[in-house]
Amino acid sequence: MTSTTAVSVAPTLHAGETIRRSDRRLGIVMLAPALLYIALLVAVPFLLALFLSLTNSSAGSLEFSFVGLQNFENVIASPVFRRALRNTFVFTFVSQLAVIVLGNVLARALMKSFHGKAIARFLILLPWAAPISLATLGWLWIFDSTFSVINWLLKVAGWLGPGQWYYWLGDPTLGMVAVIMIHVWRMLPFSTVILLAGLTSIPNEVREASAIDGAGLFSRIFRIEIPMMKPLLTVAVLFGVVFTFTDMSVVYLLTRGGPYNSTHVLASLAFQEGVLGGDVGRGAAVAIFLVPVLVVLAIFMLRTSRRAEVV
Amino acid sequence: MQTRRQFIQRGTKLVAAGAVATAAGPTILVRDAKAAGQLKILQWSHFVPAYDKWFDPWAKEWGSKRGVEVTVDHVGFADVVPRATAEVAAQSGHDVHMFLGLASAFEEHVIDLKDVVATLEKKHGKQVELAHRSTYNPFTRKQFALSDMWVPDPGNYHKEVWTKIGKPQGPVTYDDLVWAAPEVKKVAPQMQIPIGVGLSQDIDSNMAVRNILWCHGGSIQDKDGNVVLNSPETLAALEYAKKLYSVGMTQAVLSWNAASNNQAFNAQETSYILNSISAYRTAQDNKLPVLEHYYFVPALKGPKATLASEHVMSGYVVWKFSKNQDVAKEFLVALVDAARESMLASKLYNFPSFYGAAAEPGTPVNKRAESGGAWITAQCNKDPFGSNPPDKLALLAKSVPWSTNLGHPGFGNPAEGEIFDTYVLTDMFAKAATGALSPKDSMMEASTRAKQIFDKWRQKKMVPGGGKDK
Repeated sequence: MTSTTAVSVAPTLHAGETIRRSDRRLGIVMLAPALLYIALLVAVPFLLALFLSLTNSSAGSLEFSFVGLQNFENVIASPVFRRALRNTFVFTFVSQLAVIVLGNVLARALMKSFHGKAIARFLILLPWAAPISLATLGWLWIFDSTFSVINWLLKVAGWLGPGQWYYWLGDPTLGMVAVIMIHVWRMLPFSTVILLAGLTSIPNEVREASAIDGAGLFSRIFRIEIPMMKPLLTVAVLFGVVFTFTDMSVVYLLTRGGPYNSTHVLASLAFQEGVLGGDVGRGAAVAIFLVPVLVVLAIFMLRTSRRAEVV
Repeated sequence: MQTRRQFIQRGTKLVAAGAVATAAGPTILVRDAKAAGQLKILQWSHFVPAYDKWFDPWAKEWGSKRGVEVTVDHVGFADVVPRATAEVAAQSGHDVHMFLGLASAFEEHVIDLKDVVATLEKKHGKQVELAHRSTYNPFTRKQFALSDMWVPDPGNYHKEVWTKIGKPQGPVTYDDLVWAAPEVKKVAPQMQIPIGVGLSQDIDSNMAVRNILWCHGGSIQDKDGNVVLNSPETLAALEYAKKLYSVGMTQAVLSWNAASNNQAFNAQETSYILNSISAYRTAQDNKLPVLEHYYFVPALKGPKATLASEHVMSGYVVWKFSKNQDVAKEFLVALVDAARESMLASKLYNFPSFYGAAAEPGTPVNKRAESGGAWITAQCNKDPFGSNPPDKLALLAKSVPWSTNLGHPGFGNPAEGEIFDTYVLTDMFAKAATGALSPKDSMMEASTRAKQIFDKWRQKKMVPGGGKDK
């Protein structure tokens, strides 16, 4: 009996192991393109940037020598870099805060029935579909220091008197406001769609029960809806943060970092120093400062997505 | 036993040596016309679009006569350097690459064009000094680029407004701008920016602030390549900019791009800008109301000098990785030879770097520069493109004495190029003018950065000086 059992179990285990092994092989094959992609387009450039940041490499040369941490010392001592570092955080967090608040408002509005809802949805989604470079060129005209459409409207409306003018791109503060506005405009559709999905996934019974229990609007939002939407909300925020934190096109096309290098972000400054200026080592050193923040964000994203799976 | 550093350096040198070996070839200018080939040219999109309409078919026709298939690609002026960077990194791309400013940062990857210049000088006589100083590195003794044309950078003024304030001939000195600003506000209150000198991160502002600096006796480097930005002369220039900004400019000039001053002048929102004639040609093409008031003045006189930077300086390079170097050299010779066509196609925007190339056919070499100069003067004195009065552009014919190169009073070099491309000077002027920093702090900040940049290029043995840095 014992021997019979042993004989019958052994082939079963063997088959299971074979299946597991072939599963593993299939898994490796299936993952290989993604891993190759990550290795070639993420890991190699990252390691190259790290390597170049320790050299005096320039754009017009293939020769270089190691300079240790000299590039890092130089950029940290640079007021332009410090300003760019600060701007990167300010642009990212202010724009994301605005996106979440406005996204919530829009998502709630889109949950209601009203005439022209389809057109409204289309218009809200449009910025997400538009190429950011083309859209920014449009914004460039809207914010032009001499011919700003906003200013002309404000003037016609009587808001701006004689001699009064907003120099959107010529004033450091207004320049930052302009950059933030474009980031908000760009990220709002994505956030709205995510939040709309979250809101519609909350069962009506929950809302009805909360209404019976006497929950007000704010209680319902902060105690029921936001906690229930937390995984989705976190994904929306993290995607927005990563997009904004690493973006250089808005600043590069809108202000080119001006006035007097006051609106640069790390990515645009790295481009200016490394590609336009030809100091690849210095440009790489500037760009490397994006890494710690992105690593933290990546960990957050992975954890959040894991939690979302569990939920 | 190799250290890691040695390994990487040797590896890099091997790669570079491979590229050089591949690219190395005969540098004979006369080639068998029957030999077929290809030539890929990367060229800017000209500020006067009519030029591109001439250049592309002309280049193709030149190629077809020699059995060479010529391809011309255009990029916006802001993409010229990034594109070059990408092609160098890839060690492939176009054969000929046109730079608008200094190509010197790419010196290591381009072939020496000494023989091309020698050929051209033998045919047409010497090139203008500012073209020579923008394309030759005396430290490495390499002719890294060839200039076929340069562009003068006069002042553009609104004659009606300046007549109303009692200066119908426009400003003559930098002090005139400071004096005129409040007067312009009185007679033309609708103008947003009485004086439109850019202090932004763009090419025109880069030129404008250099003009102010040089005319006050300052400069980034001296003639020997020592960094001398930290000087009383620079301080004087910054104090001047602060004064001018406070009386005659607005924050708009801090955000201008290359087209902004053109647009402001053409919309009659400013009475003076520093620009080439491209804005004027746009006004002509579109028959803008500003046209009848559109006039020019030469470089303004400062306390120490009367100078203006060239507005554009072409610098054609031939990459070492090009497999068509001989054809490329022939093409460059032909392009310089076509000086008259080039100048006319650009509506007098391009000025030949070799004046002799515009000479009457058959003129002896020693007389060609003079003959070419006479032809250029004739065009400017009677603009074939409809100026009214016809001699509106006459001052351009006399622009060589007041025009100079980036890097003045020295040669253009990679450090000057990097300072230009990273807006170190416009940053310095804008901060001082707006009070974001005091003129002295602003100067010290820029001087520190300039010295860092020069030191880096000196380590690469591409820039001289250093012993007398201030």
